Amino acid sequence: MAQSRATEGRRVWVPAVMFGACALVIFVRLFQLQVLDHGKYAAAAANELLSDDTIYARRGNILDRNGNVLATSVDTWDIYINARSWQDSAQASAASTIVSKALGLDASQLRNKVAVSQSVDVLIQREVDYDTGKQLLDAKVTGVIGVPGTQRVNPEGDVGASVLGIIGLDNTGLAGIEASMNDQLQGKPGRAVYERDTTGEPIPFAQHVAQKPEAGSDLVLTIDRYIQQLAEQKLAQGMKDHQAIGGDIIVMDPQTGEIMAMASSPGLQYSTLNLSDPNSTALLRNRAVTDLYEPGSVMKIITASAAIDTGVVTPDTTYVDTGVTYIADVPLKNWDNHVYGQQTMTGVLQNSINTGAVFMVEKLGAKAFQSYLDAFGFGKQTGIELQGEASGIFRRPTDSDYSPVDLATQSFGQSISATPLQMITAIAAAINGGNLIQPHLVKSTIGPDGKEVDQQPKVVAHPIRPDSSATIRQMLDAVVNPAGGGYPGAPKSYRAGGKSGTANIPIYGTYNDTQVASFAGFAPVSDPKILILVKLDSNADLATGTQAAAPIFASMADDILHYLGVRPDAGPSVTNP
Amino acid sequence: MAAINLPLPRQRAASPARLPKGAINTWVLAGMAVLGISAVLPVLQDSTATSRGFQIQDIQASNAKLESQISQAEADVAGLTSLARIQRRASEIGLIPGLNPVYVTVTEPGPAPAKLPAEYLPGTSPSQAGPDSWWQPSDSSGQPPPR
Repeated sequence: MAQSRATEGRRVWVPAVMFGACALVIFVRLFQLQVLDHGKYAAAAANELLSDDTIYARRGNILDRNGNVLATSVDTWDIYINARSWQDSAQASAASTIVSKALGLDASQLRNKVAVSQSVDVLIQREVDYDTGKQLLDAKVTGVIGVPGTQRVNPEGDVGASVLGIIGLDNTGLAGIEASMNDQLQGKPGRAVYERDTTGEPIPFAQHVAQKPEAGSDLVLTIDRYIQQLAEQKLAQGMKDHQAIGGDIIVMDPQTGEIMAMASSPGLQYSTLNLSDPNSTALLRNRAVTDLYEPGSVMKIITASAAIDTGVVTPDTTYVDTGVTYIADVPLKNWDNHVYGQQTMTGVLQNSINTGAVFMVEKLGAKAFQSYLDAFGFGKQTGIELQGEASGIFRRPTDSDYSPVDLATQSFGQSISATPLQMITAIAAAINGGNLIQPHLVKSTIGPDGKEVDQQPKVVAHPIRPDSSATIRQMLDAVVNPAGGGYPGAPKSYRAGGKSGTANIPIYGTYNDTQVASFAGFAPVSDPKILILVKLDSNADLATGTQAAAPIFASMADDILHYLGVRPDAGPSVTNP
Repeated sequence: MAAINLPLPRQRAASPARLPKGAINTWVLAGMAVLGISAVLPVLQDSTATSRGFQIQDIQASNAKLESQISQAEADVAGLTSLARIQRRASEIGLIPGLNPVYVTVTEPGPAPAKLPAEYLPGTSPSQAGPDSWWQPSDSSGQPPPR
């Protein structure tokens, strides 16, 4: 008999359709979640899992011209306490005991600080040294969080502080070289994107995109730490001896424009800096670059340079001084009210005769004198690598309120203001062969790859001819080495040249008795290796530039040239037979 | 009827060969082995990767610690060689600033500079390999010499 197959009834199809429908629903839902909404859930997962950290680059070091470290960075920790973790008093007590012992804090004060704070994470101490912070973190004390950071260290203390400047908490320069060269020093931060677990730790071999930080470049300055320290000590002593309220000393290589020392007072001192004091911000500027003053008789170097270069006078040209000269009915007298009689142009510099300077500038004429002032860089920034540089102020013949008296007074350094840096730069051009060289503080940069790039001296103008410069050197030599000797600004071991200046300080359109005493000198005369400008502000003893500033120059010239190993022009020497 | 469920004699399927009682099919064993290994292998790999990952983290932390120690040491050296410390130590051991140095002019010529051995001088040509040397110098084209 034939086998009949069992017929498929509702008992088979109904469950099959029901299961099929359920599977279809699941399939549709999966399609929606994994295909249509894939982007949304992937982004949500990434937002939950991925962490993005900035990796800060190591800030570059600042070195002096001999490679000695002036500023460097070390790793530190900023220690925070998670306030919620310390809500349990027993836990807080135990943790605070450990933390206070490690950081040298009072445990109860620490607990109070955390308890009253509105923050979730309470900052306890910044810039904790690396080893102490690491030990504290490795101890896994309840609630302790460490944020890595760096601290700037100045091994030379306050030496050069007004040049170096400071950085802020975000590792960005705020003043000095730290600010003006911040882009080179700071480098470029890196970035790490990684998946993290529930404890916040990175998951090994999970997605990790890292952009490595690029370390900052090291800077080699033209500053010599010994000469800088010497300048700061001599300035402090000079201010004390002559009761001055401030001052500047700049030491420059006149052949290259390199600044070997730049001391200013009042100025930045790391040891006493208190940024919460509103008066302290005034200390952040470098006054040798930002502050203007009337140079006084030091300006006669420029007047004589212009007159010699145009040929209107020679060192031996004579005139007769009567003690006063009248310009537009305005009497202009010599600084000491003395009458010198017949004098050469060299004598004008030796005796600092104001009427002699007026004689030279009247022969030059306003237009020519103005062009020489421009050529020597007055009224313009020098371009040094410091922020806030002033340009200088003086009336020009094209100004509506210009008068012939301005021409006359500018010739001996009144009615014209300049920064100490502008003044020394111009004098360097007068004695180095006639090259106006841009002063600079950065000698070279060393990249993260160790490659050193030197900064070459930049000649910006040729205000006078080399033979005129040689003549000016001889005239200034005669100032410091007059017949009979005894000039206070003459170094013991080297033949030097220079000029003093004593300028009244203008106040509300007139002058009072306060003054600036200064001296600009160079040595050796035959081949100038250093040019020094010494300036004392408002010295209460009213000593002149010759009396107050010149001896400081003489002392510094001997010390610095001995230090540099320059053979002396005078002093004991032995020649082997 | 009794014959309803009996298959027709000619349609009766041949009886499959039966394995001995208690024996396991070889292919089944192989399949189970592959499945087992496939299951265990990722676990082992994951475990190893995680361990290595933590080792890497430890090494990175150690690296960071060493780098910070280096920078701290450099700062310490800079402090120890600072002007103020040198001057203080010089004073402590009785040194005083040198005043009025005496310069000595020497008319005799200085000593000749020491000569370096030739192999330390720049631009020396590489020594020619001997016939027994395994290093065969190339010709000027940079290609090895023809054999």
